[in-house]
Amino acid sequence: MKTYLLACFTVLFACCYVGGAFADHHETAEMTMLQFPESYKAMSVSNGGTISGVVKFEGDVPEMKMLEITKDQAVCGATEKFDETLVVGEGNALKNTIVYLMDISQGKDFDKAAKLEMDQKGCQFNPHVQIVPVGVRVTMLNNDRVNHNVHIFSSVNKPVNKQQTKNRRKMPLAGVKKAEGPVSVKCDIHGWMSAWIAYVPHPYFAVTNEMGEFTLENVPPGTYKLGYWHEACGTNNESPAAVTVEAGGTVKQDFTLMLKKNVAESGKHN
Amino acid sequence: MIRIQQILPNTKITHLILFLAIIPVLQFADAQNVPQASEEGKRVYEKSCAHCHGTEGRGDGSAAENLLPKPRDFTRGLYKIRSTEAGELPTDQDLLDIITKGMPGSSMPGWETALSANERREVVAYIKTFHDGFKEQESPPRQISLAGKIAYSEESVEIGKGLYTELGCIECHGNIGRGDGTSAPTLTDEWGFQTWPANLAQSWNFRGGSDTEDIFKRFIGGLAGSPMPAFEGDSFLNFGLTSAESKRLTELENRDEMTAAEEEESGQYYEKMDAAVNIALNIAEGTELSAEEQQTYTEAMKVVYEKSWHLANYVKSLAPEKRPEPAIGNNVLRSQYVTDALPAKTDAAWDTLESSHFPLVAQVIIEPRQFNPTIDSVNVKSFYNDTEVAFLFTWDDRTHTTAEEDEETGNILEDALAIQFPVKIPQGPTAPKPYFLWGGRLPVYLWQWKASAPDQVTELTAKGINNAEAQAVQSDIQAEGSYTNGQYTLWVKRALKTDDKKDLQLEPGVFVPIAFSAWDGANGDINTKRVISSWYAFVLEPVPSSKRFIYPPLVALLSVGLLLGLRGFVQRRNS
Ligand code: HEC
Ligand code: HEC
Repeated sequence: MKTYLLACFTVLFACCYVGGAFADHHETAEMTMLQFPESYKAMSVSNGGTISGVVKFEGDVPEMKMLEITKDQAVCGATEKFDETLVVGEGNALKNTIVYLMDISQGKDFDKAAKLEMDQKGCQFNPHVQIVPVGVRVTMLNNDRVNHNVHIFSSVNKPVNKQQTKNRRKMPLAGVKKAEGPVSVKCDIHGWMSAWIAYVPHPYFAVTNEMGEFTLENVPPGTYKLGYWHEACGTNNESPAAVTVEAGGTVKQDFTLMLKKNVAESGKHN
Repeated sequence: MIRIQQILPNTKITHLILFLAIIPVLQFADAQNVPQASEEGKRVYEKSCAHCHGTEGRGDGSAAENLLPKPRDFTRGLYKIRSTEAGELPTDQDLLDIITKGMPGSSMPGWETALSANERREVVAYIKTFHDGFKEQESPPRQISLAGKIAYSEESVEIGKGLYTELGCIECHGNIGRGDGTSAPTLTDEWGFQTWPANLAQSWNFRGGSDTEDIFKRFIGGLAGSPMPAFEGDSFLNFGLTSAESKRLTELENRDEMTAAEEEESGQYYEKMDAAVNIALNIAEGTELSAEEQQTYTEAMKVVYEKSWHLANYVKSLAPEKRPEPAIGNNVLRSQYVTDALPAKTDAAWDTLESSHFPLVAQVIIEPRQFNPTIDSVNVKSFYNDTEVAFLFTWDDRTHTTAEEDEETGNILEDALAIQFPVKIPQGPTAPKPYFLWGGRLPVYLWQWKASAPDQVTELTAKGINNAEAQAVQSDIQAEGSYTNGQYTLWVKRALKTDDKKDLQLEPGVFVPIAFSAWDGANGDINTKRVISSWYAFVLEPVPSSKRFIYPPLVALLSVGLLLGLRGFVQRRNS
């Protein structure tokens, strides 16, 4: 028994060691990806509180880059399109930031009635960041009558790259097994099309709107780590905010984000 | 002696010692779930694969830098050549096959002779350890069924042709498959590196083989990690309906107005389609099917598989059965004599000739080099009469680039071709030829053509790859170039004899060395960065009454020797 315990401990140490060495050299998943609890149990929450706030951008706001439309002009080029990597609105409001609870292990269930869709109208994904619960199907919409290929760069779940021809207006995608992400979503036929999907194990995830606002509702009272992820600004995985939710109460937590150091050279996707 | 503290930070040493102490324990634990990766597999991998694929399988070996496509990063579990459905991992047999055969059109070698069958099996088990997905697999991957193959026929090819457009292969592979689709210039793989769609007319460069079955599996399963998508059930029009139902629905959908009965009818079709899609999703999600669902699914897939065989037959029809033999020996380029005027560029007379095939290889000898060529070969036909010779050169290039500025370097890039001859024809097969890379001590005579001036050929004299000059006196050379569907056609006509001593002078029956250089502007080709050939030979085929020649077999032998030599050289440079 003793030797067994010792073995377990050493395995643990060894893992830390290997993990530590790894972190020295690479930007690891722990730094760039969402953090998920070991397990999550859905239950009814009656006295939950609310976490809300505003995410703002700090730094010189770069001019929105117009996307170069290289084909299917009649459909894709009908309106001007902009790169949505960094969308900063009035008062430096930062759109498309995921704000979420990192360490919640039980709470409300997903809204089963919610329709999960991602549109490709005018050859641009909408929304740019989509939250998809594990096991739930997301439907790709294509009402423009052009060919798309839906390419999702999963590495934990099965990779997806599937043709959605011009005749296929709604193409549901299989639900995934594991929490992952956010993973990049592309259409290779229209190389400028880019979006993100986060496969999540619990419903306490929000994406900021044009005003940079987010709200997480019906959170069971307790203290949690509040994390964020933004495509161009990165995560706060190394120092998440601590928030304490009281029954029926509302806590405010704002964030101010800056560009990741390597964002300028980020043509590649990991 | 190097002390361990010098290499490792202090705090980690205790961990390391503990770690070393429990290695036997770990190994014991590993043996249970890691697919039998042996020491032997690791040894083989580190000896033969790691310099490309990296010690940790990340595709970042020391030789990887200059290669495109990049050696695969095994940690993502993305494999192109699979017998399995979209999203699935490959089978062990798939991995064994690709390691045995290699991947044409890339630097991935075949290991059939270099490694024993057992070593190859061991290395398969070893590369699987780089991706957790293999360990976590609950059931064997779903394989693509090859049952019900539809034999090759004109009708099948015709149906397949329609599907090629309907499914959108055309977006990337272009109108007739030469890889020149409108999406081709912007494609990147999942690691962010530029990728070109396969040229379906050059199936010898397919990574996973050119049999109809290979093609069938590729587009059904997709090429994971590349932009090439999978074409699964509902990628096909009206998945879930029989052909008759599908036709009927299309007819109904095209009406301006439907009667109540027709509304209901189409509603039933939509339900049927939704049901089929739902079953397909259940399968992908790993849900058990009822017998009835299984039946519905089999019926739905029957239509898809039928269409897929037609499409595979069409793709098969786009390329010759195998790569044409290079223009040596019996295939040497023989210009055919005509008594009348030489045929113009679009004259049907050209169709009566077989073309001679000149493979091109990357120029990797002189900086700047090209390690990742996009132009495969040039095909040539020729006629001559008593005073002139005409050539028709064709070569595939996925992009039509006429003088575009390279964003990175500011260079003006464009597509081009150069045809090289010696100034003086060597007297006899053993006489020295100029250096094949644009001459040296012995000069070469060149015809240079550029896409930005398609109806013009410039005469150059060169004494080295960086030492070429346009001739001060340009002979009268007629040229006409054009680009359609991913292919250049260049027609050139010149007098057999000119007054210029720096020009090549032609005579029937004399074997003349010929070589090529080609540039693909979109691939960054410029100056020495290009594709090249070694010396080949061509001859103005003497009119039957002329005396026989003793040279041909000798010249042919010599060309073979040179070609093999160059290939070997290039391969050594590459590896
Ligand atoms: C000279 C470099 C080089 C060496 C040596 C090499 N590979 Fe590769 N390998 C490649 C490249 C490049 C690719 C990717 C080709 C592509 O994606 O088209 C590749 C791809 C592969 C793939 C992916 C096949 C698929 O279906 O996608 C496997 C498996 C593989 N190599 C195994 C091996 C093994 C095992 C060895 C050693 C016995 C080895 N390779 C040695 C360059 C190399
Ligand atoms: C979004 C672009 C895209 C579309 C659409 C597409 N392909 Fe491809 N295809 C590619 C690319 C890129 C490659 C080269 C992949 C590689 O090796 O990296 C390729 C490779 C291939 C190959 C060669 C496979 C091999 O073994 O190397 C075949 C055959 C093929 N495609 C057939 C098709 C057919 C048939 C369709 C339509 C049903 C199709 N493709 C649609 C991009 C595309």
